[in-house]
Amino acid sequence: MKLKINSLKGKSPEEIVSILGLKELLPSQQNALERFVELGLPTKKSEEYRYFDVEPLLEKEYELLEYIPKPIEESDHVEIVDGVVTSAPKGLRVYYDNCDALDLEHFDPMYYLGHLLSPRVIKIDLDGDNDVELIHRFTKSNALINYRIVLFNQANRHATLYESFESDNIKDTLALYGYDMHIMPDSTLSVVKTQSMYDDRYAMIASHRINVDKQANAILKTFDLGGDKALQLIKADLANYAHVEAGHLLYLNQAAKRGTVSKIVHKGEHATSNQEAKNILDGNARGIFDALIKVENSAKWTKAHQNSKSILLHDDAYMAAKPQLEIYIDELEASHGATTGQLDKKQLFYLQSRGIDYVEARKMLVMAFAKTLIETVKDTRHQERIQKAFEEAFYAGHKEKKDK
Amino acid sequence: MSNNKNDKILEIKDVHAKIGNKEILKGLNLDLEPGKVHAIMGPNGAGKSTLSKTIVGHYDIDMTDGDITYKGKSIKDMEPEERALEGIFLSFQHPVEIPGVNNAYFLRTAVNAKRKHEGKEELNAAEFLREMKKYLELLGMKSDMISRSLNEGFSGGEKKRNEILQMMMLEPDVIILDEIDSGLDIDALRAVSEGINRMKDGKRTFLVITHYSRILDYIKPDYIHVLKDGKVIKTAGPELVAQLEEHGYDKIEDEKNEAENK
Repeated sequence: MKLKINSLKGKSPEEIVSILGLKELLPSQQNALERFVELGLPTKKSEEYRYFDVEPLLEKEYELLEYIPKPIEESDHVEIVDGVVTSAPKGLRVYYDNCDALDLEHFDPMYYLGHLLSPRVIKIDLDGDNDVELIHRFTKSNALINYRIVLFNQANRHATLYESFESDNIKDTLALYGYDMHIMPDSTLSVVKTQSMYDDRYAMIASHRINVDKQANAILKTFDLGGDKALQLIKADLANYAHVEAGHLLYLNQAAKRGTVSKIVHKGEHATSNQEAKNILDGNARGIFDALIKVENSAKWTKAHQNSKSILLHDDAYMAAKPQLEIYIDELEASHGATTGQLDKKQLFYLQSRGIDYVEARKMLVMAFAKTLIETVKDTRHQERIQKAFEEAFYAGHKEKKDK
Repeated sequence: MSNNKNDKILEIKDVHAKIGNKEILKGLNLDLEPGKVHAIMGPNGAGKSTLSKTIVGHYDIDMTDGDITYKGKSIKDMEPEERALEGIFLSFQHPVEIPGVNNAYFLRTAVNAKRKHEGKEELNAAEFLREMKKYLELLGMKSDMISRSLNEGFSGGEKKRNEILQMMMLEPDVIILDEIDSGLDIDALRAVSEGINRMKDGKRTFLVITHYSRILDYIKPDYIHVLKDGKVIKTAGPELVAQLEEHGYDKIEDEKNEAENK
């Protein structure tokens, strides 16, 4: 079956059900459908998609895939190929189930489309103090690959999920995925995402929902590298004494359009959030950091800080940095800011004057800028991997320039 | 100075250079002999630092006329890193701080770029550290300086010592020292000078740019060149230093004008 997402525009719930060929709707799908219709398809005028250029993606015709569960092989990591789990470590509970974690207040219509198309979600139970690696792999061209993952952890435990993305030599696919996470009281769940993209194999819309229970910590580190189009949309709700630590590194080249749109909602008292974005943009890339922290009436003694720092390596590069605070109480501590600049010519010259070539000198300087975020990843092996991925993306961008 | 072409490692021929719209060097001529120490002295605004920047290809400089040849080859169109790889080194008056770039990593990258350029094997981390430690001791540098970010939080003296460390590790053929003594206390000056003097092997050439004669008590020059208003107005032996101390730069200029009027 084929689908142009734009064909859902302005349609009634019944028409949408018919276009998508859905039969009986589960309660979560019914809710998702209502919210999807209410929010409407994103356009370039939609606040959350205005810098992303979403319309061409919605115009394309995609093959809808069938998601037939396969036997899960034992491996040292979880692997999801085109939305189907193919392997997982021994002892880790990974299974399919109906969704019971839908957020009815998410701002992203694509979150609801994802849920509507994925009645059965992939559930991963992170028992104990786990470190789990997850590889997403895409192998189909011209496809809409959609799946949802529900992550569970346990109270008083500290688990980390390292996720990365691989793709075959495909073309024109749209991956629509995301997490629903509930972080249990007194626990910590870290998600470290590294995504290198080099060409137009696939675009991605990743729409996440994070519910941070009392005295729990959500740590989210995202490293988005290279070209192409991808947007991550994050909504996080914080209960009493909950904490969110989010760091986003963008290194973009070519005509990439990538970034983060987020809404962190302080609901409980004494909750804290700290969100930092570092953006390095080359070519005619566009980076996005559109981040709102909302402090509700109930969220007394909140501490909320957000910051975006950008370096433009090319005159045609553009950073849409929009840190925002929406505050309904007086008893809080909050700050936000954004800066954009260029590489320091004096520093660049100093390195060159010691025989280090221009590209290498630039790499050393952007790496120095990015390093403080990379070093927030606890595991040094993963730090090295991210650094390697960063260097590969950097050299790929410069090789392309040279070849031209 | 000898006029034999083979005796010149660096020739600066009628160089005109601008910064922005202002011409700073106005037909400057200067030849450097291999193995010699040349000191450039001159009042503020004479163009001393512009000269050093012009030689190393600084982005501020627009060289509008003339030529600079190094080992017989024009370098005026070379990138700064090519000039460095060929063996020209500038010790900066104000070395920049680069947070996040590890000092040892930076220096190893530079040393290996030079070794690669010369067709030598690159040094691995252990070999490099062994090599570097020898110089650290000599320069009285603390070993933690190599693990810190490049020049970040370094005192004036530490920055200058770090410049000399780089110079020693990179083994250049022409070394330009731009106000190397500025901001140094007596101990630092002694350590830095010792490092420089160790590099004097009868083949390397030094161009010492200075306001004051103090540094020349430590690094003995072979030639003194007086720079004024973008030109070299006098070249003489080390005895010129005393004359400058006594009479200042105006006297030299007056003498030059008199000579020209005769």
